[in-house]
Amino acid sequence: MKWSTENGALLVPLALGWLAIWWLLPREKGRSRILGGLIGVAALLALQVTLLPPAGNVVRDGMFYLFGGAAILSGGLMITDKNPVFAALWFAVSTLSVCGLFLVNSAPFLSAATIIVYAGAIVVTFLFVIMLAQQSGAANYDHRAVQPVMASVLSFVLLGSLLFALQEWGGIDGKASDEARANQFVSLEGTVQANVFSQPPGTNKAEIGSMRVLGRSLFSDYLYVVELAGTVLLIATIGAIAIAPRRSQGTL
Amino acid sequence: MLNSLVNFFPEPVRPYVMPILAIVIVLNVNLGVCSYLILLERKLSAWMQDRHGPNRVGPFGLFQPVADMLKLLLKEDVIPGHVNKVLFVLAPGISVFTTFLAFAVVPFGPVPENLSPGDGQFPFIIAPGIDLGIVFIFAIGSLAVYGIILGGWASNNKYSALGCLRASAQVVSYEIPLGMSVVGLALLNHSMSIEKILMNQATNGLPGWNIWVQPLACVIFFIAAMAEAQRLPFDLAECEQELIGGWHTEYSAMKWGLFFLAEYTHVITISFLTIILFFGGWQFPLIAEIDSAYTGATVVKVLVLLTKVFGVIIVIQMLRWTIPRFRFDQLMSLAWKGLIPLAMVNVLLVMIVKQFDLHTLWLLPLSIAAFVAAGLMGTQSSRPFARKAVPVVEDHGHGGHHAHAH
Repeated sequence: MKWSTENGALLVPLALGWLAIWWLLPREKGRSRILGGLIGVAALLALQVTLLPPAGNVVRDGMFYLFGGAAILSGGLMITDKNPVFAALWFAVSTLSVCGLFLVNSAPFLSAATIIVYAGAIVVTFLFVIMLAQQSGAANYDHRAVQPVMASVLSFVLLGSLLFALQEWGGIDGKASDEARANQFVSLEGTVQANVFSQPPGTNKAEIGSMRVLGRSLFSDYLYVVELAGTVLLIATIGAIAIAPRRSQGTL
Repeated sequence: MLNSLVNFFPEPVRPYVMPILAIVIVLNVNLGVCSYLILLERKLSAWMQDRHGPNRVGPFGLFQPVADMLKLLLKEDVIPGHVNKVLFVLAPGISVFTTFLAFAVVPFGPVPENLSPGDGQFPFIIAPGIDLGIVFIFAIGSLAVYGIILGGWASNNKYSALGCLRASAQVVSYEIPLGMSVVGLALLNHSMSIEKILMNQATNGLPGWNIWVQPLACVIFFIAAMAEAQRLPFDLAECEQELIGGWHTEYSAMKWGLFFLAEYTHVITISFLTIILFFGGWQFPLIAEIDSAYTGATVVKVLVLLTKVFGVIIVIQMLRWTIPRFRFDQLMSLAWKGLIPLAMVNVLLVMIVKQFDLHTLWLLPLSIAAFVAAGLMGTQSSRPFARKAVPVVEDHGHGGHHAHAH
């Protein structure tokens, strides 16, 4: 009981958020979207008490809340919208909001690359498939969630564990002491290199987040990971070509 | 002239007035130029087809754009039944918004080298100092397809749906060669900033133009950009002969006009980018060098840039009546089997030259050789990567399977 009162600031918004999403998940018989929306807003407001960052730059905080709020809102709308086309569009809006968050945190290349890859290519492909498959409107089974209780409970358990882990580390509410923050993440000693190609990080402040620094880090510190990811993608491409039916076999 | 304009505003407000002035100039010039580009396109089409073209409104039909605009504004704005109203209205807005946003990082004159937010110089670019200018344009350009997709889908019309399906496949495919064609450019110029690439060429004069070292990249970029803009010969999404009007079949009046405003703005952006990335921007021997400081040099530089851009626009409009429209499978083959491998070869050549410290002009013969080799491969066998045709066996046992498959 003591635990639940101590962590009520996180438990209440999580429970409210789960209720909102579970209420709003598409069903055959529609429910009041206004009620669900109100519960969702209440959940976000309850979470606000915990996550309020220390007062800083007003413009930056405003941008953060704008983009973060838009990302959460459009994410919720994406799950709860009955129409798959609108769901894909909300996904695009959510991606764009996250790109805004990247931009606020001075990662312009990551932001632009995410827009190109996700909003510009992947969601367009989703839309392509949805429009190709559903010329005459969605089928009955597309109008309702298959496992509403299971899916919403599990996803909120995951979200809750993430939030609790972050809170244990003192990362989200800004209340942890400096010492606790300094010890929360494992960091390399200055002399230890990730691998033999690693170069010491630059000290030029203007270069932080620039493409030059990003590229140097990717192809030195993370060289093996980049090569591995490239190989996996290549294998996936070959696999896709192998699985796709050939013209001579009568389809496509 | 420009100085008197800048000095007209008192010192303290200049840092705020100048960007607004740049935005106002870009927006208004763009809108005006778009309407006259339509007239130019109609006149050029007429000239190429040996007819007169519009010649009734005003001398030589010069007031035709005004009449067109009045018609578009006054015409009944029909929203058909059974359309998805929100997306139907939103789609033209997205098209115009994204194409105008892309223009924010395109310099339209000599950008001052020591530009900082505090001093009140006229910037000649809406958003100066963006380190990732080209990537930003590609990111915004990849969003432009949403206007077409949403417009086509919301129209609740089979032809529109076909058009938007074609558009989405086409844009996703052509983004790859478009992005890869400038990788070599970025490697050679050590930057992805459009201003820096422009300054590099301007400092080196005529021999420093990127076209001498990246001719192949220029061709790939131009083709892929035309495909992104849905211009003929790549206007499969619109395709009047098969799809009536494709994705804009159901649109009328000013919503239709907005789609075309977006298309022409896209053409202008492409032309600016081609000139700035490959043909030296505002630089021209003798009259517009980096150190030319005579009275009115800035105006001459702007005029040189605009003249070059106008040339590219003329080329784009003449291509419309020169090359017939692609078939859809030809379109996809061109991107995946032609442009993407060529762009990869181009990047590889740049890397070889950089790695072995060769003179960058080696890239000129190497690129031409790669281009000729690709052309030979394309012409010597009509479908170089096709599987050998299976001979049709007459008996109805085993071999008939293949015959029916086609």
